[in-house]
Amino acid sequence: MERRRPLWKILLDEFRRIESEINRMEEEMFRMMKEAEGMRKCITPLYNLYESGDEVILTADLPGANKEEIDLRVQEDNIRIEAPCRSPLRKVEEGKYILHVKLPTKIDPETAKARYKDGVLEVLAKKKIAGFRIKVE
Amino acid sequence: MESQQYIRDLEIVEEKPIKEEGLVIVEGFPDVGLVGAIATSYLIDKLQLEEIGYIDAEVLPPIISVKEERIRELIRIYKGGKVVAIISDIPLPVSLVKPLGYRLMSWAKSKNPDLFLSLSGLPEPNRLNIEKSKIFVLGSTPEVTERLMQVDGVSRFKDGFITGIKGILLKEGVRMNVNAAIILAQAHYNYPDPGAAAQIVNYLSRLLNIDIDVKPLLERAEELKLRLRDLMRRTDQMMQGVQKSKELELPPVYL
Repeated sequence: MERRRPLWKILLDEFRRIESEINRMEEEMFRMMKEAEGMRKCITPLYNLYESGDEVILTADLPGANKEEIDLRVQEDNIRIEAPCRSPLRKVEEGKYILHVKLPTKIDPETAKARYKDGVLEVLAKKKIAGFRIKVE
Repeated sequence: MESQQYIRDLEIVEEKPIKEEGLVIVEGFPDVGLVGAIATSYLIDKLQLEEIGYIDAEVLPPIISVKEERIRELIRIYKGGKVVAIISDIPLPVSLVKPLGYRLMSWAKSKNPDLFLSLSGLPEPNRLNIEKSKIFVLGSTPEVTERLMQVDGVSRFKDGFITGIKGILLKEGVRMNVNAAIILAQAHYNYPDPGAAAQIVNYLSRLLNIDIDVKPLLERAEELKLRLRDLMRRTDQMMQGVQKSKELELPPVYL
């Protein structure tokens, strides 16, 4: 007669199945990104997007870029960065960085400020505030 | 029971046996800003350490590393003089962290080392505004910390969390009574940070009285950042698995 599997074993197997499914999806995403980079000879930079108080902050790692050559376009709901990468790597052909990020909230593009330091581009913009000001009683 | 199985499926192989005692063992497994990995790799190169062994485990992915037509293990052990360095070409799988921490420290204890140092980055959200990363140290005992503090310009790591293999190694160092420590440099969380790695190398050269020039490392910073982009991306995924962002928090205080 077959013994029933204990609950902890069933849960553990389920966790492992979920973990391996997440790994598979990440691997697939990674492969597609690398293939797209190879096809288009472009580089997807590492980036971080933060929401802090009334600001949205985007940083992107663009080593080997030149401040004057960074094409930065800021719109209400997205930011697009394009910049040539003067790679010092002999193996890698000179390519360009392309990053297009959809923002989690609307911003006021006119408030956007950017700086490039030690290979990292930082873009700050104020969130668009909508609605009426209500007096608190 | 299960972790014991993992431990059995893990081997530390010395192809050239290490017989000396009083060694300084340095590990640079990839994590925050790849600081430890860059610093350890630079040490291996500049001190011309020789590859003497490797670590293999059942849970490591079926990958080999090839460099200049040479087939290499993923996690390698190097040695030269009194320095032993351990480096990995991939981020450690989360399920390997605890068993490897235990096994590696047990192995280190059998060598009776002078110091076991974990090199790492301390995530600093304000890194862009910092020219020179500060170095923080924490030893397995107050005596070890005092010894590490003898170098000028170093701060104590007083409160916070240390996650992943670095935390486990330090904990095992305490349990096994090995002089273990972690050396941290303020760094970008998920961008390769050769500048922070250079500060760690600078610190080690003063601590261990070895002459290492970090200028070539800083000159190659952009190239390294570009070359290590994919490793950083994969390491970022691993760091989520060990709750690395916890290092941005302070431990709770109940009283």
